[in-house]
Amino acid sequence: MAREQDLLAAFIEFADTIIEEYDVVDFLHRLAERCVELTNASEAGIMLADRDGTLRYVASSSERMRLIELFELQHDEGPCLDAFHTGVAVHSTLSDDAQRRWPLVAPRAREVGFESVSALPMRLRNEVIGALNVFSSQTALLSTEDRSVAQTLADIATIGILQERALNDAHIVTSQLGAALESRIVIEQAKGVIAEHNNVSVDDAFALLRAYSRSHRGRLSKIARDVVDGTLTTGHLSEPSPADPTL
Amino acid sequence: MTRRSGDIEPLDSETFAKAVAARSDEAHDPISSLCLACTDVVGVRGAALLVISGKRVLGCVGVSDLVTEAVEQVEYTLGDGPCMAAYKTKFPVFDEDLSDDQDGRWPEFRRGALAVGIRAAFGFPLLIDQVCIGALNLYHDRPGALSDRQVSDAQTVADIASRMLLAWQADAPPGRVAWQLEQVPNHRMEVHQAAGRISVQAAIPVDDALVLLRAYAFSEDLTISTVARDVASGLVRFD
Repeated sequence: MAREQDLLAAFIEFADTIIEEYDVVDFLHRLAERCVELTNASEAGIMLADRDGTLRYVASSSERMRLIELFELQHDEGPCLDAFHTGVAVHSTLSDDAQRRWPLVAPRAREVGFESVSALPMRLRNEVIGALNVFSSQTALLSTEDRSVAQTLADIATIGILQERALNDAHIVTSQLGAALESRIVIEQAKGVIAEHNNVSVDDAFALLRAYSRSHRGRLSKIARDVVDGTLTTGHLSEPSPADPTL
Repeated sequence: MTRRSGDIEPLDSETFAKAVAARSDEAHDPISSLCLACTDVVGVRGAALLVISGKRVLGCVGVSDLVTEAVEQVEYTLGDGPCMAAYKTKFPVFDEDLSDDQDGRWPEFRRGALAVGIRAAFGFPLLIDQVCIGALNLYHDRPGALSDRQVSDAQTVADIASRMLLAWQADAPPGRVAWQLEQVPNHRMEVHQAAGRISVQAAIPVDDALVLLRAYAFSEDLTISTVARDVASGLVRFD
């Protein structure tokens, strides 16, 4: 009962984190730590796939765990990679079969004191975005309850990460939209400034602006901004440039 | 026409997409279909979508009809009204009876909107994770509050519209505004050109020039676009 309450508390903690702005790496480190507290595991770590599908180390409950995760990645074998590639959870001791399955990683994990391992895919529908890796110093595999707790934590991590990715994408486009709007408007203002100053039509003013940006290899919006701010005087714009024979 | 019967299930994207598709033949551009679909789904007289960056309004990006366009002109001229308030506060703003002036909010806007037959105005922020990119403005020709259902639908529509605007922008070339958002009536761009001209004439920063333009339009009871055209033709000068 106490454990369910702990899990619930962790769930609420992370739900709050997801709603507010948060640092995803810090979030995953805390999640790995909670996994160790709430299950029989000795250590926990998380790997995530890049956009190109390459698995990367992100978080772990300890330095010992971090090194094992890096070792797995370096030698391209191990329970975490298997869970990621197959989308199926792995539960195994590190003796016998495991020594054949992961000939480099299994002996190394035993060297640093681990006897069993679980790796849980972080999955949303068809997409596997990473894996939660859990090592234990006991030969006994994770109990059914512990597996379900670990999977719940993996699911929380998945939601948090997908949320963060969606927000990042939206943030980028939102700021791009803002910048594009600003430049659109400042170009119109510059057209007005040039038209008034040089006593030409707005179309001719725009032609001057474009010719200047081409010949000076500057961005149109930057030059427009300089015109509006007065840092670039409009007299300069009508000067012919060798780069543009039409003027 | 796409108004649903019953009052249980919330508006979903698919229903809204169908409403947009149903209106796509009669509209000139994607944003106008979006606005027409808003009027159908929420059940109001008019709808407009504004895209705003900082303090600058990229004109009214889409309108459902000409009356709405006229109201948008009023708010754009004044730079104040329920929709600008929704953008600034990031909260929906309700003005269910424009003829009731007791609370003293935007009296000039109310006067202008009433003059073209609009009796109620509602503004919903277009929010992407707490960043406000504009507003969805709804207008009705009868006074009266929106029902809970209408408010919920309007918020859903604002949410979908925000995502559509962003999706369009995500496909735009670097540094450019998405073509779907460029369907701005020309006069809005003339306003920015006029501000540029006035900044030269009066030797003031361009932002101040826009304020001057706005103040002049208000005091002469003209729309900002009319004054902008007069500035362009040289009829009005700010020397």
